[in-house]
Amino acid sequence: MTSLIGSNVVRSDGEDKVRGAAVYAMDFAEARTLHAQLLRSPIAAGRIRSIDTTRAAALPGVRAIVTAADVPSNTSGWILKDQPIFAREEVRFIGEPIAAVAADTPEQAAAAVAAIELDLEPLQALTDFDAALADGARLIHPDWESYAMLVPAPRDGNVAWESTLDKGDVDAAFAAAHIVVEDEFVTPRQHQSPIEPHAVAAHFEQGRYVVYSCTQYPFLCRDRLAEWLGVSPSAVRVIATTIGGGFGGKIDALLEPYVCVLARKTGRPVRLVNSRREELQTAGPRENARIRIRSAVSAEGEILAQESENLMDNGAYSGEIVACSSVPALIFGGTYRVPTARHRTRVVYTNTPPTAAYRGVSGPYCMFALEQHMDHIANELGIDRRDFRMQNVHQAGESTTNGQVLSDAIYPEAFARVDEIAPWAQATADQQAGPLRGVGIAAVTWLTNPGPGGATVKVNEDGTVTIVSAGAEIGTGAMVTGVRQIVAEELGVSIESVILAPTDTDTGTYDGGAQGSRTLFSVGNAAKMACENVREQLLETAAGLLEAAPEDLELVDGHVGVKGSPQARVPLAAVAQTALYTGGPISATGKHVTPPVPFDAGCMTGALFTGFTTASYHVHQAEVEVDPDTGKVTILRYVVAQDVGVAINPQQIEGQIHGGVLQGVGYALYEDLRVEDGVVLDGSLEHYRLPTAFEAPPIDIALLENPTPNGPFGAKGAAEPSILPVASVIASAVSQAIGKPIRSLPITPFEVLRALNDETESLAAAAPSPTR
Amino acid sequence: MDHTFTLNEQRVEVDAPALTPLMTVLRDELGMLGTKNGCAEGRCGACTVLVDGSPVVSCLTPVALVDGREVRTVEGLTAPDAPLNPLQQAMLDHGAVQCGACTPGILMSLTALLERESAPDEMDVRNALSGNICRCTGYHKIVDAALAVAGAENGSRS
Ligand code: FES
Ligand code: FES
Repeated sequence: MTSLIGSNVVRSDGEDKVRGAAVYAMDFAEARTLHAQLLRSPIAAGRIRSIDTTRAAALPGVRAIVTAADVPSNTSGWILKDQPIFAREEVRFIGEPIAAVAADTPEQAAAAVAAIELDLEPLQALTDFDAALADGARLIHPDWESYAMLVPAPRDGNVAWESTLDKGDVDAAFAAAHIVVEDEFVTPRQHQSPIEPHAVAAHFEQGRYVVYSCTQYPFLCRDRLAEWLGVSPSAVRVIATTIGGGFGGKIDALLEPYVCVLARKTGRPVRLVNSRREELQTAGPRENARIRIRSAVSAEGEILAQESENLMDNGAYSGEIVACSSVPALIFGGTYRVPTARHRTRVVYTNTPPTAAYRGVSGPYCMFALEQHMDHIANELGIDRRDFRMQNVHQAGESTTNGQVLSDAIYPEAFARVDEIAPWAQATADQQAGPLRGVGIAAVTWLTNPGPGGATVKVNEDGTVTIVSAGAEIGTGAMVTGVRQIVAEELGVSIESVILAPTDTDTGTYDGGAQGSRTLFSVGNAAKMACENVREQLLETAAGLLEAAPEDLELVDGHVGVKGSPQARVPLAAVAQTALYTGGPISATGKHVTPPVPFDAGCMTGALFTGFTTASYHVHQAEVEVDPDTGKVTILRYVVAQDVGVAINPQQIEGQIHGGVLQGVGYALYEDLRVEDGVVLDGSLEHYRLPTAFEAPPIDIALLENPTPNGPFGAKGAAEPSILPVASVIASAVSQAIGKPIRSLPITPFEVLRALNDETESLAAAAPSPTR
Repeated sequence: MDHTFTLNEQRVEVDAPALTPLMTVLRDELGMLGTKNGCAEGRCGACTVLVDGSPVVSCLTPVALVDGREVRTVEGLTAPDAPLNPLQQAMLDHGAVQCGACTPGILMSLTALLERESAPDEMDVRNALSGNICRCTGYHKIVDAALAVAGAENGSRS
């Protein structure tokens, strides 16, 4: 039998998906289901004077209306527990839930929401960094000191979280520098916009909440609900439906508490689905940010020291972003050598919708800033931009700024593979000729999320194998191809005979969620461990049947056979049936957690991410052409070299790269979830422009094999990294094409024209100048 | 108000106000959940169905407009107990399906193209997909799947 590792098997949920038979959360309803709608705050900041539901409750079809008065006053949050279910005394962003209605039809629920009488007293809305950080600014959370935290961190009033890195004598290094280069960058919010919006349903059964959700992280959803509802986690059961995309936006709980409270109150199943407008205006996007970075550089082009001051917008409540506050410090010292550094990142409360995780979390804009800054330094020194990166990039065995040893870095190979596909010399020569052309290159170190995982593997009495796990399949194929391939390979069965049980917190062991490229890695490891145990049980049982020693047996082709004697074998079905009455049914549970990466803990504060667990290494290159009349940017060519450890399913990884790059293209050129005075202006896909098939550039891919001893068959996480470098390489390419620096995203045609016509700006004299 | 049309070769009659979106009728009245509601504002294409062979976004198509006409949805591409059709199979073989929420709409847009054009090229495929957003795949594998089907059909014709 040929190996299933490295084979492009077809996803087990695929047939239902192409038949239109897969049931997503947006399609899910039980019998007698009621429909919920939320009353959301119309203003960015205000005190609640009164909520009168009398008139609304009397409307036809209305079964229940709930507000803060009906739920515990607990606040909840993954890291920083600052969010109530419903606004209680104050509203803090436009769209914050104030009340929820359950009615027989969606229309009746909407009518009731409209009939609730709300009296709000507006407060001064602090909707951007400067307003929130001003001396004497109003506190967005007057009780901020009372909130519980998963781990302690420096906090202060409207600064929800602060993270720092201090390494070495920064001032001395700056004093000794040949040049000091300094830049500031501003980046917008980017919305995940999966095609399926947030959608949930719940009922109350045997004293427990049963929740159906398109959640990426069922156990976090469970724990958040327990915290909000004031019940024990085991009083909540979360079942993941087919999930219509997530990209980080469905990690944390969002709509789940409302259906739970309404289901309890009415005794009926209740469902709630975000409209596209609600999705864009209230489901947390990637945070907007401001980065100030300066570097001390030697005459030979070494980075001696770096300093940065960064702001991330938390919005009104804390989701994952407080946990991401160390990402700038990690990114700035994780790819290029920076021995000495001082970084500070503050996550700032504003009266805007809470921000959230989005693929690659804060990495894409940290890279955008770092790589434009690298170009700036290279241009100042008159060094080729690629040479400058090659000179400074980490070699295997070197340490990041915070002391993590990157033992398996493969940057020379990654740069070389990109160059084979699209030679830099050729691309820079093309840049001198003809129209406005530019090329950009960038490298990045990224991680595989280390969260815990588990999987149970059982051999059924017909010889098929079932995997029970709470790992969620968000579309990447990690569960429906990768984990199945690992199990089939380990047990010597066909891929078709490996069945995936539904994702359910009642049946699967704890799982750290479909986030940070971890599912195939972690669940795969756990499943592999389970298979090793299952294999022993199979061999032991078959040894009796075949009258051979277990060590002389092997699992091949759905059989246990005697090595070297092709005729002496028994099918797994017979082994499983025999086992029932000898050793008992065959099954085992495996588990996995990535050990922490050693680093210099003394140099960081407030950091939840402290390093690149199971690090992977990536180089991207883009060539663009800019139309000087319209400002339009066309991506002529895009190259990705991605360290995947080992590719379990190359086709699925390519799909992740295509998708990640295009989301990055959107971030670079089109997507900007505009918020003005607390109002999300882009409430429709007409205004919030997602890339279409026309915007998908040609992409060449080199999958770099660099097996890790920590991953199943050597595999590393593969889904996130492809989005990280995209905005940075496109910005570099555009910047070179037009001979002007790019300091903000997205790079719209207007922005290109503005930059082109700005006489006060130019790249450093040493930079190649545009030819027209 | 009563409306009668053909849905996947079967006559259906529904009672709904004339301006009710066809998507709502399909999903909420007829239980045809394969047609996805990705935005309800005509922007994502997940709800694409064929009306007399042409792709339309069913979320913006009033049910009265399909009176007496032929509507096809993803469920009509092949019978539930029959094998996948070549396009469905090609989408899977090429890895063109990830979350799959866009897939029904994309299948319908491509079905219309493949029925209309005997030998579509890459530009034709991208044009046919212009109203369908896929947030997951970056489109390349979808284009490859469509071209593979077009190529195979040409091959068998010549
Ligand atoms: S649901 Fe009709 S176009 Fe999005
Ligand atoms: S496969 Fe997820 S949107 Fe297309």
